[in-house]
Amino acid sequence: MLNLYLLAAEAAPAAEPVSSKNPIVPELNELIYSILAFVVLLVLFKKFGFQPVKKAMEARTERIRKDLDEAENAKSEAESILEEYRKQLADAKSESNRIIDEARQQAEKVKADITESANKEVADLKAKATEDIESARNAAIASLQSSVASMAIELAEKVVEKNLDRETNQRLIDSFIDKVGS
Amino acid sequence: MADDRTAAYAAALFEVAQGEQDLARVEDELFTVANRVRTNDALREALTDQSLPVDLRQGIVEDLMGGRASATTTNLVSMIVGAGRAKDLPAIIEGFLEKSAGSRSETLAEVTSAVPLDGDQQKRLADALSKRVGHKVSLKVTVDPAIKGGLIAQVGDTIIDGSVRNRLEQLKTQLQESR
Repeated sequence: MLNLYLLAAEAAPAAEPVSSKNPIVPELNELIYSILAFVVLLVLFKKFGFQPVKKAMEARTERIRKDLDEAENAKSEAESILEEYRKQLADAKSESNRIIDEARQQAEKVKADITESANKEVADLKAKATEDIESARNAAIASLQSSVASMAIELAEKVVEKNLDRETNQRLIDSFIDKVGS
Repeated sequence: MADDRTAAYAAALFEVAQGEQDLARVEDELFTVANRVRTNDALREALTDQSLPVDLRQGIVEDLMGGRASATTTNLVSMIVGAGRAKDLPAIIEGFLEKSAGSRSETLAEVTSAVPLDGDQQKRLADALSKRVGHKVSLKVTVDPAIKGGLIAQVGDTIIDGSVRNRLEQLKTQLQESR
């Protein structure tokens, strides 16, 4: 390796005398131009480029915040709607229970009414039947009594006509006169 | 209750009859006529039939009563029939009898008997009724076998029914009501 370096050094033309300048440090003028160019660019950027970037950043920030707010609102709204749905569901369940209870009570009442009505109708029919039977019985008895009475009277009339001679009639007349005058 | 027209006819009859010698006979005859008209439907219809001429209806009266009743009675009945009041004849005669009895301070007593009453019975009955109602009565007797026996007496609004028919009716009622 050392040999190689030596060969290369021998083969190379005589180099120029080594400069004392640092190759890393730029020339002064170059440095000044660079600084001036940087300042100019910085001023130009600050004047024309910084505000739009800032506005764009702010707009983006604002949009993100708005989106976050909207998302929060949507979430709240969704929760509210969910709560409302739950409440409505509970109300519907309560209402359905109430309707079922009411229907059950109504059915019980209808059942009781029908039973009572039927019982009353049966009692009425029974009472009417009893009344009809009693009425028919009374009518039959009255008819029989009337017939018996008529027959008895007819017989009595015949007996009276047969036995009511002039003498008996005179006694009746005398009896009437005595009774009226007494 | 007689209406004014009936009362007027009764008063007219009384005015004519009281001039007669035998008022009692006229009363009896008119009472008999009233009973006949009341109980005989054919006679009542003939006398009240407005389609028959008045002369014919008066002729019926004269045919039936002529020779049997006094001329006064016949004329009075004929007058009422001729006036078209035959249907009111019983009421007019009853009014006349009440008026006539009233003129003697008596009350008309209408008696129905199944058989004719003799003089003694009529006198005793008149006395008994007079005692019962508290003043003298004028007795008018109708014979009606339909009452079967006994007597019915009516003095004013008071009716005393001692007929066999009434007793049989009462018996019938009792039999029907008894259970």
